[in-house]
Amino acid sequence: MLRATAALAAAPLAGCGLFDREDPERDDPLDPLLAATVRLAAEYDAVIAAQPALAERLTPLRDAHRAHAKALAQLIGRPASSLSASPVPSSPPGDPSAALAHLQAAEKAGQDQAAAACLAAPADRTALLGSITAARATHQEVLR
Amino acid sequence: MTTAAEVLAAEHAAIYAYGVIGAHLTGAAATAARDAEAAHRARRDALGRQVIAAGATPTPADPAYALPFPVTDQASALRLAVQTEERTGAVWRSALATTSGDERQAALDALVDCAIRATRFRRAAGVTPATVTFPGRPG
Repeated sequence: MLRATAALAAAPLAGCGLFDREDPERDDPLDPLLAATVRLAAEYDAVIAAQPALAERLTPLRDAHRAHAKALAQLIGRPASSLSASPVPSSPPGDPSAALAHLQAAEKAGQDQAAAACLAAPADRTALLGSITAARATHQEVLR
Repeated sequence: MTTAAEVLAAEHAAIYAYGVIGAHLTGAAATAARDAEAAHRARRDALGRQVIAAGATPTPADPAYALPFPVTDQASALRLAVQTEERTGAVWRSALATTSGDERQAALDALVDCAIRATRFRRAAGVTPATVTFPGRPG
């Protein structure tokens, strides 16, 4: 078993379907949500870097997304490396109100994605997914 | 295992709390409390119908509920409103695991609604940050 794990670490074969549920390389239905959550935190980083005046308001929201990503990674057995973001594809809007609207839209899409995951999840995953859904709804409230 | 009876009990307690809260608020905060109370009443009524449809009798509200602290002014009323939404949201969150389909959707909608209202009341009370990381998670 240990040897098999080491071999996998050397040559990851994600999603080939050969591995049982204990395998860290298996696909999980929450992988897309984890990736999107990491990206959402990175969107905040980009806006905070471009708009330092918004930092105080946005930092707790960014930190919440990081905590959600950490909890998701733990739930589905993903390593800490799954939490490092690839660069945000587009640069954030230049003025503060457009930047807030941009995050607002990202939070709404994120809420919908988390809600769909919660509705489809087995019972033991619903609490975390419900909290993530609700958190994203409250973020939209303070971005207004 | 969270049952419809348990969430019904939580909604009864929330409605009672808003009776006390509303008496100490004015203006926009009073309006927000009235809206919140209406949301809790709507969910209580839906739960009652659900319990009846399952062939049971809905448990009525207690005549009074112990409040966690005395409510004497706007600040303590807002604090109780935040706590009421947090507690009710937590019960709905635990109901997610024991439901599926439309019932789970209703539980999720309720958790989201409670979390949003808690955030609004925190803002009205000047609490920062106005959000929590894991809405509905106890502690």
